[in-house]
Amino acid sequence: MEIIITSGKIDLISIDGSIDALTAPEVTTTIQNHIQAGHANIALDFSKVQFMSSAGLRAILASVKESRAAGGDLRIAAVQPSIEKVMKMAGFHNIVKMFSTIEDALKSFEA
Amino acid sequence: MSATPHQVTLSAELESLPRFRELIQAASLNSGLSDQDIYDVQLAVDEICTNIIIHGYADMDPGSVILTAEMVGDALKVTITDFGHPFEPTEPPAPNTEAPLEEREEGGLGLFFVYMSIDELQYESSPTGNVTTLLKKKSP
Repeated sequence: MEIIITSGKIDLISIDGSIDALTAPEVTTTIQNHIQAGHANIALDFSKVQFMSSAGLRAILASVKESRAAGGDLRIAAVQPSIEKVMKMAGFHNIVKMFSTIEDALKSFEA
Repeated sequence: MSATPHQVTLSAELESLPRFRELIQAASLNSGLSDQDIYDVQLAVDEICTNIIIHGYADMDPGSVILTAEMVGDALKVTITDFGHPFEPTEPPAPNTEAPLEEREEGGLGLFFVYMSIDELQYESSPTGNVTTLLKKKSP
């Protein structure tokens, strides 16, 4: 798994690979560090995430809580159907804003 | 259709998780299972193996996890054998998917996903090891 941060008006964090119990801690730490560095608004690019388990969901949940506690928000973009199914099973669509494209997720912060 | 079972024996470490998913993918080749069916099995296997690695082998040297997958009729049968502490994957209560963010617990989702993703689960613990058997039928 690889994490790429693209800085902009709203920062984009792209994850490439699988988020399982092995890689989830790196996701949590990277996003946490980013928020603590003063960037609480984050668009999370999921277009290259091929697999995510409950460990990945925990990492996302912790990150959303952290960004909102810091006065921002974490919004997810371009989730593949199988992973969207996992998120819906856990009811994530009720608490996390999800967008079909990265552009829409970035734009949503302007409103 | 019949096929040779795919099998792999790996050490009970989180580094083995991608290899378990690869084996499920390989065993599902030309099986008629949909991509979603295959993902469902990979998710269930990932969650069960994670529990074995973290809880089953807690306070022990990491032993082995043996994963076997084969098509039986129109279903994929997966057998996971380990030699750690017995850790029965019983069905957990469904999480409250309507709860607000502040009330969301960060644990307990793994086994819920297992039961949502597969058709049958059996667990047997004996002095020769713990065996978890999963069955995933082809989606109609």
